[in-house]
Amino acid sequence: MKSFEYTIKDELGIHARPAGLLAKLAMKYPCKITMKAPKKEVDAKRVMAVMSAGVKNSDSVTLEFDGENESEAYDEMLAFFTENL
Amino acid sequence: MSFYKHRKGEAKGMFEKFKKAMGMMPKEFEIGAPVEGEAVAVSQVSDPTFGEEILGKGIAIIPSVGKVLAPVDGVIDTMFETGHAVSIHSADGTDVLVHVGLDTISLKGKYYTIHKQTGDTIKKGDLLIEFDIEGIKSEGYDVITPVIICNSDEYNFTPHIGAHVKPLDTVITLTPAK
Repeated sequence: MKSFEYTIKDELGIHARPAGLLAKLAMKYPCKITMKAPKKEVDAKRVMAVMSAGVKNSDSVTLEFDGENESEAYDEMLAFFTENL
Repeated sequence: MSFYKHRKGEAKGMFEKFKKAMGMMPKEFEIGAPVEGEAVAVSQVSDPTFGEEILGKGIAIIPSVGKVLAPVDGVIDTMFETGHAVSIHSADGTDVLVHVGLDTISLKGKYYTIHKQTGDTIKKGDLLIEFDIEGIKSEGYDVITPVIICNSDEYNFTPHIGAHVKPLDTVITLTPAK
């Protein structure tokens, strides 16, 4: 299992658009990807779940990758967070 | 011969009814229009989040009345505190997102009044959000309202667009894909 922690810098947090892009990226990988947010822990592959976590600016989230292709998923997801959030 | 045909047709109808009653026919889920206005293809939405179906398949409505009603029976999964969007988990298991206007998260709640909260159980037709169409437009935002099925890959998706719709007119029909 791999994981990283990230503090959200985007002023608007993880709203509809980033939630959609995040889930779409997560779905590319067979491994289980979990996002642990202050409000709740969600399956990163489910758009609605990612949105419902209500992640805001300056919240800290942990992304966990478990299973096949977890290293690639980790790298791409970390790049996504750094670029977009 | 015609008598035989007639009987055959009738028997078939009865069999269909029987299958329906036994739950053997594919279920159909209808999504009502959450707002009144002109229903259009989601590809007409300039924001790629919706137009390119990043959140799922859907339709869009150009609203003529500033009221969002529950499009299905279910539970509010997320009422965004800005009131610009609401997601609903329907009693049938469908995930529906109603996003009032494009980039309207930036209005931070201005022109939106929330009537229900995250976790509330709702009935089709319940008032969820009121919004000021002219106010939103006056700040330069497009008020077009995408209605998205976030788990649309689980269904066969049929949009009903190209007409003025009243609240709760069926705008999407879903049947389970498997």
